[in-house]
Order: sequence, then C-alpha cells, then structure tokens
Amino acid sequence: MIVGIPKGLLYCRYQSFLDTFFYELGAEIITSPDTNKEILNAGVKYCIDEACLPVKIYHGHVASIKDKCDMIAIPRIMQLREREFICPKFCGLPEMVVSSIPDMPRTTMAPIYAMSKDRLYAWAKKTGSMVTHDTGRIKRALDSAIHEQQRFKGGIKDEGFRLNIALTGHPYNLYDSFINMNIVKKLNKLGVGVITEEYADESIIDDQVKKLYKKPFWSFARNSYGFAVHSAQSKAVDGIIYISSFACGIDSVVIELIKDKTDDFPFMVIKLDEHTGEAGLDTRVEAFVDMLERTR
Amino acid sequence: MKVTFPHMGNIYIAAKALMDGLGVEYVIPPFTNKAALEIGSLHSPEEICLPFKIMIGNYMQAIEQGADTVILTGSCGPCRFGEYCEMQMNLMKRLGHNLDFIVLDVPLDIGAKELLNRIGKVSGASTKTKAQKLKAAVDAFKVMHLIDDIEAKARFLTGYEATKGAFKRLLNSCKAEAMNCKTPEEMLKLLYDYRSRLDKVKTDKNKKPIKIAIIGEIYTIIEPFSNLYIEDKLMDYGVSTKKTLTPSWWYKNLVLSPLKLNQLEIKRKARDYLPLGIGGHARECIGEAVLAHDEGFDGAIQIFPMGCMPEIVSKAILPKISREKDFPIMTLVVDEMTGEAGYVTRIEAFVDLLERRKNNVLSGC
Ligand code: SF4
Ligand code: SF4
Repeated sequence: MIVGIPKGLLYCRYQSFLDTFFYELGAEIITSPDTNKEILNAGVKYCIDEACLPVKIYHGHVASIKDKCDMIAIPRIMQLREREFICPKFCGLPEMVVSSIPDMPRTTMAPIYAMSKDRLYAWAKKTGSMVTHDTGRIKRALDSAIHEQQRFKGGIKDEGFRLNIALTGHPYNLYDSFINMNIVKKLNKLGVGVITEEYADESIIDDQVKKLYKKPFWSFARNSYGFAVHSAQSKAVDGIIYISSFACGIDSVVIELIKDKTDDFPFMVIKLDEHTGEAGLDTRVEAFVDMLERTR
Repeated sequence: MKVTFPHMGNIYIAAKALMDGLGVEYVIPPFTNKAALEIGSLHSPEEICLPFKIMIGNYMQAIEQGADTVILTGSCGPCRFGEYCEMQMNLMKRLGHNLDFIVLDVPLDIGAKELLNRIGKVSGASTKTKAQKLKAAVDAFKVMHLIDDIEAKARFLTGYEATKGAFKRLLNSCKAEAMNCKTPEEMLKLLYDYRSRLDKVKTDKNKKPIKIAIIGEIYTIIEPFSNLYIEDKLMDYGVSTKKTLTPSWWYKNLVLSPLKLNQLEIKRKARDYLPLGIGGHARECIGEAVLAHDEGFDGAIQIFPMGCMPEIVSKAILPKISREKDFPIMTLVVDEMTGEAGYVTRIEAFVDLLERRKNNVLSGC
C-alpha cells in the first residue's frame, strides 16, 4: 500500500506526525516534491479561483502524486484546542480536493480533533484501518507519531544580527520558501535576523490574548496575534513582517487587531498570490529594512 | 440610551416591535443604501468581508440620527462573524464615536450570567414591568416568524400568481404598513391579517413556474441590498424562490444548536458531500442544494461575499452536486464593486437556461 502525503499547508508543522504514523502502519510513503512552478500551475488549474494561494498550492501537491499512490492522506484538522477553531478551509479540505481534482485515489476523510489523545485515537482508528486491520499496530503507530511530533520544534531564531524582525503569519506561508520567495534568506542577506513565534513563551501569547474583549478563536491567529503584539510592545525586535495571502479571511482580521495594538511600531504586511512578482517583493523588503536602519 | 442595530433582512421589523414593547428609544438605520456601503468601505479594512463594511455604514448613518448604543449578535464559530464586534468597536472608537456595544453571544462563551447582564443593559433602560418586558420579547419573536413566513410564501407563490406582480405588491405594502404601527399588538394584528390575505391572492395552480433555491452565506442572502435585490428581480421574472436561511431560522439555529435538534433534514442531505460543519453555513448551503434538487426545484443560486471562507469551500463542492444530479447551480460573488449590469445579465441568462431545460423536458426531447 502506497500512501501519498501532499507537502502543502500544515505538513510543514505536522510532518513528523503524519510520516511516522503511516510508516509505523507499514505503508510505503511518497510525498510530493517541495512546492515548485508545476505544482503552483496545477493548483491554479484545479482549484477554484476564489481560494487563497496556500489552498491552491495544496491542490497542486495532491495532483502531483495522485497517480502514484493507492491512497492520499489529506488531514482534515477541525480543532487543535478547546473552544478554538481553525480556518473553514482546513475543515472542508478533503471535500474541496475530491470535488475539484478528477480521478482521485481513496482519501482519508476522518476529522482530527487534537485536544486529547482519545479524540486523536478516533481519527487514527478510522484512518489506520485504511491501511491495516491490526488495531494494536494502529495504537502503537499513533503513540510513536505523537512522540515524534512532541520532539518537533520548528521555527527560526537567528542570532548575531544587528537588526531583528519578528516574522509572523500562517506556518505554511512562513516555511514554504517557494510561496514566500525565500524571504528569510533575503532578510539575512540584508543583515536582518528573523525570529518566529515558536520561540515565544506560551504565557506571553496567553497574556496578550486575554486582553482582547473576546478571545480570538482561531488557533494560529491566536499565536500570530500574541507574538506580534508582544514583540512590538516589549521592543524585543526592530520590526514585524506578516506574511499573508490574498483572500485569507483570518489574516484580514488578525492584521487589523495587531495594527490596533501596536501603534506606529514598524509593521509590514506582505500579501501573496499567484501573481506576486519577486522584483516587487524585493523592493518592498529593502525599503522596509532601510526604514528600520534609519529609525534605529 | 438610544439603541440601534445593523440591518439584516426583516430584523428591523422585529426590532421595532421589541423596542416599542420595551419603551426603549431606538434608531432604525436607513435601509442599507449606496452611501452606507461607501462610508462603510471607506473606513473598513480593505480585505474584510462585505457584511462588515455595510454594517459600519449602518452605524454611521444611525449615529447621525442620535444612536449611541449598538446591539450586535456575535456568534462563535470558525468564521469572521464572531470577530466582528471586537474590530467594529475598535474602528468606531478610532473614528471618534463613543458607541456602546452590547454583544449578545451564545452563553457558553461568555457565561449565562454575563449574557443576562448584557441583556439587562437594554431592558434596564425600559421602565416597564418584568411581565411587560417578557411579553415584548415574545411578541418580537412572533413578529419575526410572521414576517419571514409571509415573505417566504409571497416569494414562492409568485410563480403561480394570476395577476403579475400581485404578491410583490402585497409584500411591499405589508412591510411598509408594519413600520407605521405604533405598538407590537397593532403590528401583530396587521401581520396576521396580511398572512390571511396572502391566501386570497388569485393563483393558477396549473402553472409550471421556474423554481430557484437561494443558498449561500447568510448575510448576503438575507440583506437584500447586498445581493442587489435578487429575490425582487426573480419575482419580476415570475420565478418562484425559496431560501431556508432567514432571521428566524438563524435564531432557532442558535438557540437549538446545543440540543442538536436543528436542521436534521439539511444535515442529512449534506452528508454525501460535506458531512461535517466547517463554520459559517457551508453545510447548510450544500444540504440545501441537494434538498432543492430533491424537491423538484429547477436550479439554485449560491450567493456569497468575496473572500467568504466557508462558502469558498461550498463553491468547490457544488459543481460535483451539479454534475452528479444534473442540477444547474450558479454562483454569484458580491462585493462593493459588483456592477449591476453584469449581474443582471447573469441572472437572466441563468433563468433562460432553466426555462430552456424545462421546455426540453416538457416537449420530451
Ligand atoms: S487560514 Fe487563510 S491562508 Fe490559511 S487556508 Fe485559511 S484562508 Fe487560506
Ligand atoms: S461567513 Fe463569510 S461573510 Fe460571514 S463572516 Fe464568515 S467570511 Fe465573512
């Protein structure tokens, strides 16, 4: 049994979990290549026009492996923490993909509620049974997957730069260097260090979030918001860059909430879609860094 | 205290009944209009969805008439609607308006005590007795159901009317007269009266009108300005329409959702295509499309504001339903740039298509 795992969206964060789980079940795993031009083009072709860039690219990843595997693992992440949600597009991801791409192999459909091990097990049982009927094995696979995931840290924290910025946004925009056109390298080259939210304290994020009238209820938004506002208020960095995609409803809210709390702290939003040109991005990043130099 | 609220379909009629019953001062914002949309868009974040912008426009126009308190329902879910209040409060403050926001939320999130507290803020301004207040609330809900009921009936029966425009005229005069009522009792009486008058309008049961279900994002379905009065347009073409999402549906859904009693039918219908709720009303949209097909409708029109996350998911799924069930579905995405001309052309073309299909079937080819 060959299981295909598309490398788009939250794979960058849950890679250890997904790979380990299917590996331990005894499946052969293939992943799609890193995002590239063909993947982008396939995504734009299959996915509906109104979707955001990361979702289009995800469709491209699926298309690139669908004929090479017996089933595709499309995580349907419904909830990571109690009373929090994530983007509707994650919750409906399997349906979006199977309705848009023809001749799909079998796909995983079970929802993931990651708040407790019991609820994760419900997912594992359904998903694992597509590969093996050995429930003991499924249980063990889940255990190892959770274990591997807990060891995963991720994130960026550059040291030794004169200027530093907080880089924030959804993980797939931050860690897919095709999507963001290698922004981290670009910044480093300009003498700017980067730090991401993985290196912020949970408690700092909680503190900031509590100050909102109403708790934000998107798990990733919560992190971006708390991290950005804290970075600005504590002046731990010289500026903030938020990488976003057009047509992302969640970002449109979070960016406003951040702006509202950070006054005139240097804050740049980079919005991406399939038409974004690299030259324009370079100019904006350079101008922002120049501004940081001057105001320092 | 002078209370106002954003427009959402017929809610203003029920709100009038409630405030009249409570004896609280209120301002009904002018019906959503071009100017409201323009000021709303000017001050709102560019990428926020259309409902947000229009609501800001409603507040600004209500402030001009002296409103100082906004009642807002922010239901929690993986959609932006729940975040509206926070942002709208910030925005209005930045614009220099000292508005009080009363956010009525689902108890689980704010706690039942806090909810009562917030409701108390409104009813505290009322000098009526407790029993009178309760009656005002009950009357308001009755009004909401009645007017939604009347509207639904009128829109559906349009296709069968013997005299063109009869139902539209009746519906319009009903709404206009409701706003002239001085008390909730008077309004209820009027609405009951209109409801029975509906049954007396001459219809031709042998007609085979085109029937279209309106599905999609709740605000753009309910607030006619935002969908460029699509239901009125379809009425003019003699098309029968149906929508499940109405303010009274919304209320029922909110209140009943903890009991999971709501919308069993729609959920069942959605199962093959979208078995889980993903936020907003995407599952309803899918379920209604299937339901409309099963009920013998000729087609469905999905409406949503640009960038609407849950409806983008539905839009990706709808073509599959359309393919598998041979059921035409058209999607209209609206935003502040939507041009009337192109929009009307698309609606007309869709109605033409449905007519052609119907005639083909009838003539057996
Ligand atoms: S959170 Fe934003 S970028 Fe991510 S899938 Fe949803 S809409 Fe797209
Ligand atoms: S359902 Fe759509 S229109 Fe409504 S708040 Fe959510 S994104 Fe905006």
